[in-house]
Amino acid sequence: MSLLSEETDVFAAAPGQRCAVLFLARWRTPRPGDLARIAPALYGEFDALRAAGWRLSLDRVLAGEEPPDPDQVPDADTDAPTVYATGFSHDVDLVGLFEAPTPTAALAGTLRLEQAGWERLFRTEWLIGPREFLPVVGPASRRAEDDWGFFALWKWNSAWQAASAEERRAYDLECDAAFSADVRDGAAIAGRYRLDGASQWDHIGAWRVPGPSMVDAAMHEHGRVADFKFTTSRHYLGRRTPFEDVLRAGERQDSPKEGTAHTP
Amino acid sequence: MSDVVWLHHSLPRTAWYDLQPEQRARRERDFEEQRRASEREGGTRNGRFHVRGQSDWSHVEIWSFPSPEHAFDHWSRLVAAGYTACFEFSNQVGLADPATRPA
Repeated sequence: MSLLSEETDVFAAAPGQRCAVLFLARWRTPRPGDLARIAPALYGEFDALRAAGWRLSLDRVLAGEEPPDPDQVPDADTDAPTVYATGFSHDVDLVGLFEAPTPTAALAGTLRLEQAGWERLFRTEWLIGPREFLPVVGPASRRAEDDWGFFALWKWNSAWQAASAEERRAYDLECDAAFSADVRDGAAIAGRYRLDGASQWDHIGAWRVPGPSMVDAAMHEHGRVADFKFTTSRHYLGRRTPFEDVLRAGERQDSPKEGTAHTP
Repeated sequence: MSDVVWLHHSLPRTAWYDLQPEQRARRERDFEEQRRASEREGGTRNGRFHVRGQSDWSHVEIWSFPSPEHAFDHWSRLVAAGYTACFEFSNQVGLADPATRPA
C-alpha cells in the first residue's frame, strides 16, 4: 500500500509490510467462569505469535528493530502482552496495539486469538492495517516510566478531500509543528498505520505519554494549528496494564475466593 | 484460492453529486479501471448492493481476494485514483470461517 500523505520532518516512511493490530475491547458480562482454563491457551497463542514476529505491546512497537540500549535502564518486560485500561472514561474497557509481520499474519492471528479464548473474555473490534511511518521516540520520552497510552483514530473529512495538494502540504507543515512539540513534551509516537482498507478510519496514531495532562495540552496545540479542520477523530486514553493483570482482575471479579485460580 | 472477503460500504460525498455528468463519467471510468486491474490480480466481484434504507451507507460491494494484501492493494489504488474524494467509506476484511468453508 502506498502512503496516504507524504513524509514530513517528523515522520519517515516505514519499509516492509508490518501491520497494526489495534483492538477496542469490552469485557463480556458475566465474565466466563473458567478463566483459569482460558488463560493458558491464550498465553500459548501469544507465545506462538511472538515467535512468528509479532510485537505484543506498544513499548515493543516503539522499540522497533533497535537492539536494547545498554546505557538505558531496562524497560518493563516489553515482550509481555500489554493493553491499556480505558474503562474509567470510555465505552471500551481495553485498548491496545500489537504489530504483526504482515496483513495476512494480522488477520489470521486475530482469528487464532479469538478462538483460543479471547472471544470468551471480550467483545472486540479489531482494526488492522499496514504501517506507513516509523516510530518517533525523542529524548524526552521517559520510556517505561510513562505508563499512559493515547490512541487516536482519525479520518480526513470532505474539506481535506476537496483541498489542493498545496493546501494539504501547508496543513501537513502546521501539524508537523504540533507533532514536534508533542515529541519534545515526551510523547513517543508509534509512527502511523493506514486503517482505511479495513475500517471507516484512515489512520491510527498511538502514543506513549506521561499522563492525561500532557495529552490535554497537546490537543490544545493541535487545535491551535488547526489539525482538526481537516479531520474527524476519536481518541482513547488508557493506563498501561500487563495482560496478565487484566486476567487476574477478571479472576477476582469472578471468584469470591481470591487467589484460588491459577495465573500463568 | 479466494479465502478473504472484503466488504466495502460507500456513501457519496457532496462533491460527487456536484460533478458534471461528464466529470462523473470520467471518474467512474478511472475507478472501473482499478476494479478491472484488481480482477486481473485475482480479485472477484461478488456484487454491489443498495443498502440505503437500512444503514448509514448507500451501497455495499462484496469482493473476494486471495489475501488481505490483495484487498489493501485494491483499495489503495482506488484511493490513489481519487475514490475517497467522491465517497465516504467503511471497509471490512474477513477470513472464511474454518468451520463453514464455502463449497
